[in-house]
Amino acid sequence: MAIDGIIILDNSGRPIIQSGFRSCSPAYPLLHIDALNNALAKSTRVGDVDPIIYVPTYDGRDALLPSACCHILCGDIRIVCPVSGEVDPLFAFAFLQGFVEILQEYFGTVSAATLKDNFDVVYQLLEETLDSGGHPLTTSTNALRDIVLPPSLISKLLANLSTPGAGGMSPATGAGAFASPIPWRKAGLRYNNNDIYFDVVEELRAVVNKNGTPLSSNVWGKIETNAKLSGTPDLLLTFTNPQVLTDCAFHPCVRLQRWTRDKSLSFVPPDGHFILLDYRYVPSGPASAVTGSGTPGVRGELVHVPIVLKSLIEVNEFGGTLDLTLTSRLASRAMENLSAELYLGEEATGASCMTSGGQWGGGGAKSLPGDVSWRFDSKKKVLRWEIQNMPSSSTFHLRGSFTSGAKNPRPARALRIRFEIHQHSFSALKVDQLRLTGEGYKPYKGVRGRCVGDVEWRW
Amino acid sequence: MALNALSENASRLGMRLQESFEEHTRDLNLRGSASLFDAPDLKNIRKQLDSTSDREKLDAMKRLIALISKNRNLSEYFAQVVKNVASQNLEIRKLVYIYLLRYSSFEPDLALLSINSFQKDLTDPSPLIRAMALRVLTGIGVPMIGSIVVLAIKKCAADTSPYVRKAAALAIPKCYELDQSHLPALLPILTTLLRDRSPLSIGSATVAFQAVCPTRLDLLHQQYRRLCRILVDVDEWGQVELMELLTRYARTMLPRPSGEEEEEMDKDLQLLLTSSEPLFQSRNPAVVLAVVRVVYYLAPPSHLPKILHPLLRLPHISPAVERVVLSYVLLISSSHPALFAPYYTRFLVRTDDIRQVKQDKISLLLNLITSDNLQAILREFIDCAEDVDEQIVMAALRAIGRCARLHPECMQQCLTALMTMIKSGHDVVVSNAVLVLKSLVQTQLQVPSSSLIPSSSTQPPLAIISHLARRIDDIRHSQARACVLWLVGQYSEMDTKEPGGGGLEGIADWAPDVLRKTAKTFSNETTEVKLQICTLAAKLLVLSPTSQPLRLLSRYVFSLARYDANYDVRDRTRMLVSLLAGLAPTLDEDGERGGVVLRREQVRRVLFEGKAGIIENGGGALIADEDHGMIGSMGVITGRDMRGDRHLPFWLEQGIASSLRDTEEDIPVVSFTALSSAQAQRSLGSSQITSPAVLTPTEGTPPGGIRGGSKGPWTDLDKFYEDDDSEEDGSENSDEEQDDNVEHEDEEEDGDGEEDDEDEEEEEEERKGEDPRT
Repeated sequence: MAIDGIIILDNSGRPIIQSGFRSCSPAYPLLHIDALNNALAKSTRVGDVDPIIYVPTYDGRDALLPSACCHILCGDIRIVCPVSGEVDPLFAFAFLQGFVEILQEYFGTVSAATLKDNFDVVYQLLEETLDSGGHPLTTSTNALRDIVLPPSLISKLLANLSTPGAGGMSPATGAGAFASPIPWRKAGLRYNNNDIYFDVVEELRAVVNKNGTPLSSNVWGKIETNAKLSGTPDLLLTFTNPQVLTDCAFHPCVRLQRWTRDKSLSFVPPDGHFILLDYRYVPSGPASAVTGSGTPGVRGELVHVPIVLKSLIEVNEFGGTLDLTLTSRLASRAMENLSAELYLGEEATGASCMTSGGQWGGGGAKSLPGDVSWRFDSKKKVLRWEIQNMPSSSTFHLRGSFTSGAKNPRPARALRIRFEIHQHSFSALKVDQLRLTGEGYKPYKGVRGRCVGDVEWRW
Repeated sequence: MALNALSENASRLGMRLQESFEEHTRDLNLRGSASLFDAPDLKNIRKQLDSTSDREKLDAMKRLIALISKNRNLSEYFAQVVKNVASQNLEIRKLVYIYLLRYSSFEPDLALLSINSFQKDLTDPSPLIRAMALRVLTGIGVPMIGSIVVLAIKKCAADTSPYVRKAAALAIPKCYELDQSHLPALLPILTTLLRDRSPLSIGSATVAFQAVCPTRLDLLHQQYRRLCRILVDVDEWGQVELMELLTRYARTMLPRPSGEEEEEMDKDLQLLLTSSEPLFQSRNPAVVLAVVRVVYYLAPPSHLPKILHPLLRLPHISPAVERVVLSYVLLISSSHPALFAPYYTRFLVRTDDIRQVKQDKISLLLNLITSDNLQAILREFIDCAEDVDEQIVMAALRAIGRCARLHPECMQQCLTALMTMIKSGHDVVVSNAVLVLKSLVQTQLQVPSSSLIPSSSTQPPLAIISHLARRIDDIRHSQARACVLWLVGQYSEMDTKEPGGGGLEGIADWAPDVLRKTAKTFSNETTEVKLQICTLAAKLLVLSPTSQPLRLLSRYVFSLARYDANYDVRDRTRMLVSLLAGLAPTLDEDGERGGVVLRREQVRRVLFEGKAGIIENGGGALIADEDHGMIGSMGVITGRDMRGDRHLPFWLEQGIASSLRDTEEDIPVVSFTALSSAQAQRSLGSSQITSPAVLTPTEGTPPGGIRGGSKGPWTDLDKFYEDDDSEEDGSENSDEEQDDNVEHEDEEEDGDGEEDDEDEEEEEEERKGEDPRT
């Protein structure tokens, strides 16, 4: 199973960086870029493009070589991965995902500008992560950092100031590469403070129908970890309520047998950022734990949606009116960066709205102006209502109208509401303790919770 | 005084420092290389490449790489670049490699100049350099150096570092591609690599195996069990490849699991299943899918529920993954709908899904309908009909129609929903609703006993038709209009039993009015509709030949149609007119014409009967059969033949003797090395003879067909095994001990002199500290 290469396009569809397509004709990558740009231009709604596009290509003798163009969007760039023949597209997408994670680790934000700034590093990364036959090589960032130096001010200074001729091999490259006995962990690390941070990030994905009843709601969580530990620490992480976790997926460092045995995570962590665990939260405890037999309590598995939307949307000729009311159902916490989006249809031309609100049950300070805003994105045809900070049990309104070039405008049948809740987790997952063996120090452990919501509310 | 001088000196020193610092920072481009990337100039590149300063060279190389990005042909700089191949600076060297790999095919002669330097690098103390050297050496792709490359691969395959061995494995297919005559030399290297103790290089060895000799599964007998056990420790990409290979092996070499019972399953098959199952918990979707394939295509049906939750988890990873996985779920659900049915809420259609995902979700929900979730899914379809995307509206309406046909108990609900949609202001909704209604009405009327509809039905099919007929002006979509016209013509006769009504004799009262309305707009209609208007006129005339207004109307229509621009319409008119000659001779303006004149009953038979029933061609025609695309293949996604050969072989009834998979300890007589070289020799001698390890029927794995023609350097091979014999024995033994407890080796750069005792020492050291996986 192999992919053909990687092409990175900027937001106007022009290639920035591409791997060498050695076994294909020179036209091959161009055909793929073209196919993608065509599909993007044809899409009725921005971004509504099949991530896999069939591209018929021809070899020198006019024989048809079927191939497909797999692509993902990442910030303002698009990464394209042409695949020919019968290859599982998931393989391509898994690699693309891994490659994006590597880029993020190296450059922080991934954008056309940063990639252009560091194009030589990106080329080196491509060379190390992807064999010219299209097989992934080294994709662990820990191992990669030994082979390809991450760009940093120091390395740039060194490169510029080193006296000519006397430089020799840079000390950090080459020597340490591939020396670690554990593929995912750098060898010989030293930290003055040994810290490890766990961020429990949970995402609520729900669909709510016209009557306000949730049709489906699931919480997907992950534990983002940042390890700064010396030597080769062997960690054992236990939870007080591991029964809320199901459908787990682990970083390769986790010993699976130990998890099956007693639901504790035993691992030697990689250095730096990584995702230790992905899971799904089961609300009603082990009783409804999924067995696959009988009728699993689909109803019982619903997670409470902490927000209520009342909407009155009327569509008339060449426009319509909106009246939306959002109420927080959280008793003690505030929601942040809440946004509600409504796609107004292909022909939408504009909107004008009034926001009000911030009266809440407990009484308190008035929300600041600028906290609440709305805007119409004329490119995406989306009306977006933003509330920076939504205190507990508060209510906000949006009233207004929109115009459209179509006689019978057709806005989307649902609003997409997104929000964040800090210092909170739906599952109330609690870390019990973290034990370290194999090293002589006691690490500092930090645990944080964060929630995001993504609710589709049909009106 | 002294103080003064000191401060003066200090300030002067400060000035100097600042000056020199400014000097240095002037060309210190802290902003990065964006300017270099956007506007690289070709000036001085040659000079810079020839300069002695690493900085100059690096700058020149960066500019060259930037130009590569812009698709410029830069082969003219080859000579200058090649000179830097042995640069002491690793960064320069890497950029040179990138350049070399892209342009070596343009300048094979100059590329040869660099070979020496790579050969030297193969003995470098750093495994990184050794691996890189091998990668570039094989990547240069000059057929002339084929044998050098083979030697280099052989050397690296015995390297102490698993990373170098990994590079060696990946080099094998490239070398083979370059010159297939090297196969006899490469095969033994490959078998050595497959026996590697470190799980790190196994994945790449599998890649090489699949590329070079995919049909030589007989080489794997001895490795099968160890590969199964090692699977969990292999890197994620290797796991995908290895599971693919083991699946193929199991299909070819293991007996088919016959019953549902666990005990009846072959031990070796069970081993594969139990060792791949933990990988359901991998974060990599490709790995999870590979396990799904193992279970779906190898395990008995009782194991199937295991794939459910891993598959349900994957769509959350990213929209692209969701798109792919949904297609697979759709495929599986068409043969195992009950599996996913309780989890239908995971597949509710969100407005921000992409079109393909929405369509797949609709087809999927249709597959998952059971009596429990029928109402909920039907409501979901009705919601989908309000989507902004016309294609989705169409899919949703068709789904409603299918739903009504497959589950008659919800027929009434579907009809009500469709009738409401006809009132919608949107063209797409109306036209599609009409199309679906038409087929529903037709199905209902086709079943004379009307067992499908409850007798108390408030919306008998004819009421629907009459409703449609009254709304003919609102139905603008041409296909829908044609559809309504056909329905009106076909079924207007039925209503006659009702007495009175003021209509014409023998015809429902609403039918002639439809003809009147459409006759007025005839000239503006599309061909499709015109044809149906003519047919309608003819049918009505047959039903009520005596009615004067009808005669006039149809005469008007036929005379318009007769001179229509479209020949289809003209032909149809001519046919209808002569058909009706016996009933209404006045229609024919050409006067008398010979031929048979049909009686009314005969004409009626021609016009009304013998209509084809509804052909079910809704979605869900996919079957998760191996003939109809496989899970985990591109063909399922694109819906086209991707020219792959990933089809799994069919099971063999018996499988081959499991004793072949017993390792050396069980059968000490046949040592592995002897067996494999004997096999290789035999297969070289004649392509007909099945090697001793393959006891399968002839259509199983043909061992022929994959070897190159040349008789290869056999002395070399023997020497190779002689050299490595001592080391191998040691490794095989320790292998047995560690089967359950695979160790990650410590790879120090000891050079090449690996000896047994040293090896063990290293392992001892390692054992206390780590083994992070078990």
